[in-house]
Amino acid sequence: MREYLSRFSNSVKLKQLAISAFLLFHIGAIIFWSIPINSPLITAVRNVVRPYLLWSGLFQSWDMFAPGPKSSNTYIEAVVVYKDGHTRNWKFPRMEQLSFNERYRKERYRKFVENLKEENVVLWPEAARHIAWLNKDPANPPEFIILVRHWSDMAAHLDGPYHPEPWHVQILYEYKVKPADLT
Amino acid sequence: MRLQSIVDGWNQFFFAPQSPLPISLFRILYGICVIATLGLLHGDWLSWFGTHSWVSLATMRQVEPGARLNIFAIIPQNDGYIQALFWIFLAAAILLTIGLFTRVSAAAVFLCLNTIQQRDLYITHSGDTFLRVAGFFLIFAPAGAALSIDRLIRLRKGKEGADLQPKSRWATRMIQLELSLLYLTAFWWKSLGDTWVNGTALYYIIHLDEIRRFPIPQWITQSLFIKLGTWIALALEFALGTLIWIKEFRYPLLLLGLLFHLSLEYSLNVPMFQWDILSAYVLFLRPEDIVRAWSGIMKLVPSRVAVSRSL
Repeated sequence: MREYLSRFSNSVKLKQLAISAFLLFHIGAIIFWSIPINSPLITAVRNVVRPYLLWSGLFQSWDMFAPGPKSSNTYIEAVVVYKDGHTRNWKFPRMEQLSFNERYRKERYRKFVENLKEENVVLWPEAARHIAWLNKDPANPPEFIILVRHWSDMAAHLDGPYHPEPWHVQILYEYKVKPADLT
Repeated sequence: MRLQSIVDGWNQFFFAPQSPLPISLFRILYGICVIATLGLLHGDWLSWFGTHSWVSLATMRQVEPGARLNIFAIIPQNDGYIQALFWIFLAAAILLTIGLFTRVSAAAVFLCLNTIQQRDLYITHSGDTFLRVAGFFLIFAPAGAALSIDRLIRLRKGKEGADLQPKSRWATRMIQLELSLLYLTAFWWKSLGDTWVNGTALYYIIHLDEIRRFPIPQWITQSLFIKLGTWIALALEFALGTLIWIKEFRYPLLLLGLLFHLSLEYSLNVPMFQWDILSAYVLFLRPEDIVRAWSGIMKLVPSRVAVSRSL
């Protein structure tokens, strides 16, 4: 009996040891990954744990509204130019123009549009292709998609009522539609 | 301090058995959050993840190379298969919520959640990230040990007694640590920004048209309240990331955190984010308080409506 208890106790200890190693690794990897410091040591550790965290889905960043919130109101529209030359304005759902119910369901579009920024240029042709596909017309197919960004900067006037600043317009990207995009 | 005392503290923190009530209650709330997230996405499943999605699988692989736990990489790129994946995901989330085949369901939910987030990282918010990382540790937790169909089956088969047996809590601790880290690093990131330090951050947030939800009272937009609100948010995030581990501060902080997230849920349109985070608050509740709260609720429910009067 004593021998059995001793063996049982050893196996519990071994299990705890294995779980502790698992915990130590995960706590260390997650902390090094998510803290906002870029020292050479931390970068080196991140490089070591990167394949595992990306594979397992444990990568994370908690930078909501940080280091600062957006300081401009923006939205993106697309101009669809058809083969016969006529144009159509296509709009991403704008949350402020939707009902309370709809904006709760369509918020992913806001997030996607927020990501259509210069750091993610790879998304521009993707968005243009999808807009072309949404607007396909076999008799008169879209030939060009032009992504247009509108923005209004916010100036912080803490004293006094808020006055929106003027809106600006910028052509973000022009895409020549390929026949394969419409299939 | 001796090395042994550190080892003892570690073992006490991670391995001291605890009632499975908090993690089981979390499992239910977590499952509801996943189901709600899927439901809100339902109309756009194929727009975001289908064969004609906004971001193609090929582009996503190019931007995010390397091996990933991602079912999209192995199923045929066909809208039928993709929709089937979502229905399986929904079924797993329902099973997890009711606690049937709990561990397998938890693994399936995590795998599906990871899959859809890896498929399009450009539409996820921090609430989704929290569900993903908490979901990983939930697989290892004794989440079906209470408030579950699995337990009812075990009771019926005579494999368990009526009293809940304490279980290992290391996985629960990891989810608690994730929540704590979320707040602490959110505070840390914000403290690096000028607008949070000078007290104007809230001004920009409340004037962002795209993120506004319900109207807020005019007095909140006054300079004094903007600054106070900005700094209170910072202080609260710091406290929820650190002081929550001190017993005496825990419940007051959870209450403040609850009010904080409810005010954000009212004013900001970030679907499910606040509920995803709040779901993990129950992990900080004492099991006996959960029992007491349940008894209190049951006293308010007529006896013929109540399904189970005790936990």
